[in-house]
Amino acid sequence: MAYLELRQVTFSYPRKMKPALTGINLNFEKEEITAITGPNGCGKTTLTKLMIGILKATEGEIYLAGRPLTDYSLAEIGSRIGYVFQKPDLLLFCSTVAEEIGFGLTNRGCDPETVQKRIKFYLDYFELTDYRNDFPLHLSQGEKERLAIAAMLANEPEFLILDEPTIGLDAYRKKLLENYLKKIARLGRGMILVSHDAPFVNRLAERVVFMADGRIQVCNERKGNDGYEA
Amino acid sequence: MSAKEMTAMKLDPRTKMVMVICLSCLALIYNTPGRLLLVLAATIVLLLIFRFDPSAVFGYLKPFLSLMLILFVIQCIFSPGGNVLLTVGPVPLVTDNGLLVGSSVVLRIIVVIAAAMLLTTFSSRDFILGLVQWKVPYEVAFMVFIALRFLPIFREEAINVITAIQLRGIELKKVPWGQKMTIYRQLFFPLIYGMMQKAQQLAVSMEARGFRAYPRRTYLRRLNFNLTDYVVMLLFSAVTLMLILLQIT
Repeated sequence: MAYLELRQVTFSYPRKMKPALTGINLNFEKEEITAITGPNGCGKTTLTKLMIGILKATEGEIYLAGRPLTDYSLAEIGSRIGYVFQKPDLLLFCSTVAEEIGFGLTNRGCDPETVQKRIKFYLDYFELTDYRNDFPLHLSQGEKERLAIAAMLANEPEFLILDEPTIGLDAYRKKLLENYLKKIARLGRGMILVSHDAPFVNRLAERVVFMADGRIQVCNERKGNDGYEA
Repeated sequence: MSAKEMTAMKLDPRTKMVMVICLSCLALIYNTPGRLLLVLAATIVLLLIFRFDPSAVFGYLKPFLSLMLILFVIQCIFSPGGNVLLTVGPVPLVTDNGLLVGSSVVLRIIVVIAAAMLLTTFSSRDFILGLVQWKVPYEVAFMVFIALRFLPIFREEAINVITAIQLRGIELKKVPWGQKMTIYRQLFFPLIYGMMQKAQQLAVSMEARGFRAYPRRTYLRRLNFNLTDYVVMLLFSAVTLMLILLQIT
């Protein structure tokens, strides 16, 4: 049974004649890394928003772990799937960088010691320690992206959806993120990467889904990719 | 005059602004549900004439539902006079007068919001142009427009924050009230600050594109009143004035 399953999913935005997505059939395994690519406006972000329940499919069904996605609340989906928006600003709402990383854990009843340990780990890993008391929206684009990813990873979700995770990251930080995602993948956590960054996708993804005009055009299995197995 | 004819006339935005002012004034001056319902009916007819789906008004009213409910309950309980309908011990809790006042307050809010929807039936450029041709300084007209634009942005921002919290696995509905209040209190200042930052970025962007670079602005287009605009404006103003005078006397 696929972890995430989309059956004949069609989606139209209100007051738009043309559907943003048409007849999408896709399965995502829990331990698999899939990349979704395609030109601007082809429906990649819309597809991910449907998969985490922010948008509701106009037609068709989406299943998460065998149950219809509509049976889950947004928080239930959020505790299973970690999602990073294309615009990291949308995910940042706390007063300090440290609070942002610990927000989910604190409010889900984790003991303070564990929260502090995890905050420290992610601040160090994503090189945000110098900014721990800064206001998140004052950070640069790349720093915000790293913070949004760190805040999501701190919750340890079982599956990840990252929408353009490499935007604003320099080569060194991109490598750091790549290494961390590989580490997570080795622990059996799958992910969907929406990205235009071909080298990044090639190094990580086991399968590449190419979209155009709201439809799946090609779905390639990429056995033996260089990065993930390294 | 049929609805089709009225739509085809393409009224000047300033005429619609006058209509909104008249409807809002009537909503404020009337204090009985019957009359407010009539004003609401007139507003809905106008929305239909200008091809605005009245059911969409409900979407705009949604964020105000809890406020309307609270106002209704407060008015029901604290408005004096009338026949007692419900008592708690010796204390009269709900009176028929309270119910009437409560429903009037709710209807007033609905009319004002529904009437404001008429302003969405023309472009923001026409809104500014209309105010400027009414001799409102361009800076002030632009500020009014930006303020109006920021309201939905603020709402969207608040929705984004709530979504982001839920995506961190926090079931806000199940969080105890005390913790919920702490979360909201924590979020309030970042939300306001985020909006201020957006306003600042907008100001920089405007300056960079030459806003107020020259003391005098010229306009490519001019809005012109036609006979129908004069008739509609005169009709609305006269009727509104007459109804207000009747209400006062």
